[in-house]
Amino acid sequence: MIKILAACGAGVNSSHQIKDALEKEMKSRGYDVHCDAVMVKDVNEELLSNYDIYAQIAKTDMSFTPKIPVVDAGAILYRMPAMAKPVYDNVEKVIKEKGLK
Amino acid sequence: MLDFLIHWSNVIFKPIIDLGAAPIMLIVLTLIAWAVGVNFFHALEGGIKLAIALTGISSIINLLTNAFQPAVVAFVKATGLHLGTTDLGWAPLATITWGSPYTLFFLLIIVIVNIIMLTLKVTDTLDVDIFDIWHLSFTALLAIYFGANLLTASILIIFIGVLKIINSDLMKPTFNDLLDNWDNPMTSTHLNYMMNPIIMVFNKIFDVVFPWLDKYDFDAAKLNEKIGFWGSRFAIGVYLGIFIGLLGRQPIGNIFTLAFTAATCLELFSIIGSWFIASVEPLSQGITDFATKHLNGRVFNIGLDWPFIAGRAEVWAACNVMAPIMLLEALVLPGNTILPLGGIIGMGVAPALLIVTRGRLLRMIIIGAIELPLFLWAGTLSAPFVTKTALKIAPKMVPAHALISSSTKEGPIEQFLAILLGKGQAGDMKMLMFFALAIVAYTLVFLWYRHEMLKRNTEYAKQGFKVNPDVMLKDKAAAK
Repeated sequence: MIKILAACGAGVNSSHQIKDALEKEMKSRGYDVHCDAVMVKDVNEELLSNYDIYAQIAKTDMSFTPKIPVVDAGAILYRMPAMAKPVYDNVEKVIKEKGLK
Repeated sequence: MLDFLIHWSNVIFKPIIDLGAAPIMLIVLTLIAWAVGVNFFHALEGGIKLAIALTGISSIINLLTNAFQPAVVAFVKATGLHLGTTDLGWAPLATITWGSPYTLFFLLIIVIVNIIMLTLKVTDTLDVDIFDIWHLSFTALLAIYFGANLLTASILIIFIGVLKIINSDLMKPTFNDLLDNWDNPMTSTHLNYMMNPIIMVFNKIFDVVFPWLDKYDFDAAKLNEKIGFWGSRFAIGVYLGIFIGLLGRQPIGNIFTLAFTAATCLELFSIIGSWFIASVEPLSQGITDFATKHLNGRVFNIGLDWPFIAGRAEVWAACNVMAPIMLLEALVLPGNTILPLGGIIGMGVAPALLIVTRGRLLRMIIIGAIELPLFLWAGTLSAPFVTKTALKIAPKMVPAHALISSSTKEGPIEQFLAILLGKGQAGDMKMLMFFALAIVAYTLVFLWYRHEMLKRNTEYAKQGFKVNPDVMLKDKAAAK
């Protein structure tokens, strides 16, 4: 299973939209994906080490450099399929490049 | 004829209304989502999710107030501090607001206003943050609670809604700057940003009087890392449980119970918060599809919930530092009855501070400390309304005299306006006069703020960034 982390302010709204959209679309592309949604302030090095991809809404300030691939997923929030597609493509690209399963 | 209509609407609607908030909202939300073109079963899924979210949140309100009310009463007695209002944070307030069918009515009005503004080219923003309509609905319902009618309450929130949408255009270049990304359509119509004008006044004072303070700014990301889990929701619940328990002179076992109950409730509030955001998801998608279909190519910006800038560490550093400050202020602030608990992480306060100061942390904290009393007072004044509305969805909520509210509900100024309007319309001429003065002042400060933002945006353009000419100064001479 491929584990993705999404994060937003309260960990309830935007991050859940990203989670739901990524899980749905990646499943339809044939990948076994699980995505968790948390508060941005709770994202740290240890938490990220449990995931394969970090799907951020926009640039995230962190006191460390993430070791896992980071994908900008903010476009999912616009609710327009054409704008969200590049996000899914990027996630798929990372999955293929890294050979994630 | 009228009697006939009233008779039949009673026959049809009375039994539905008597069912209670959760079944009503199931029916109403399902039908409305279906009406905007969402597949029926998808719409029903949303309706059911909303009903269980309402049910869930009312159970947690019960859990929290049951555990805390006796301790809070003992706390008030032991300390002499009149802080008897339990602070539940934003999620229960959002839920009870979404528990009112009026919220969908206000949503409809604001969607229409937005589409008209886009058509008239007064704005470039399409607001897709349907869920957060509850902020305006809360404001309108508050006005109605105090005596306004549906018409005046609607006019008030249309006025605020228009300014909010204009503000989302004004802030767009600042968002780009803070995200370090000038090629994205993200902006926000979130109500918390309506504090910007007042924050801008203080920021200006800083520019003139204390510019030297900026060089003492510290690294927000490092501070947050040091604070670690000590600043998380459940940890804060534990501290406050212990704090109230100790000052209320509770037995040790009870103190632990309070600490863990508070932590549990704070965690559960946000989990259930996500349920009912999911519940309006089909409706949000339906409205967005409808609007984009009819506004081909007209939209440049998309209005989202605030957290796309939550990646900026300053937001959380400011929240972390403001939390103890708010607690101290709550203890000594005259007229305040809220003891900060659920709302102590001031997510309704920090984003606007970030936007106006552009991440200058010391300014954020100092201006935040200055404006926090407004939030506490607004929360205090709204408590009877929140409590009464909550009783409708959580009738078993404990005991008489217990008040609930939120310490950092967005839009304190708008709440004051709503209360003045309501009281004025209920017959208090003095309040009506205050309302008139307040709305003039509110508008003037906004216009001044708008000018300041146009100046800021013109600066961005001069630095070579891509800025929409609509949000820059028109007059070249003034731009210099």
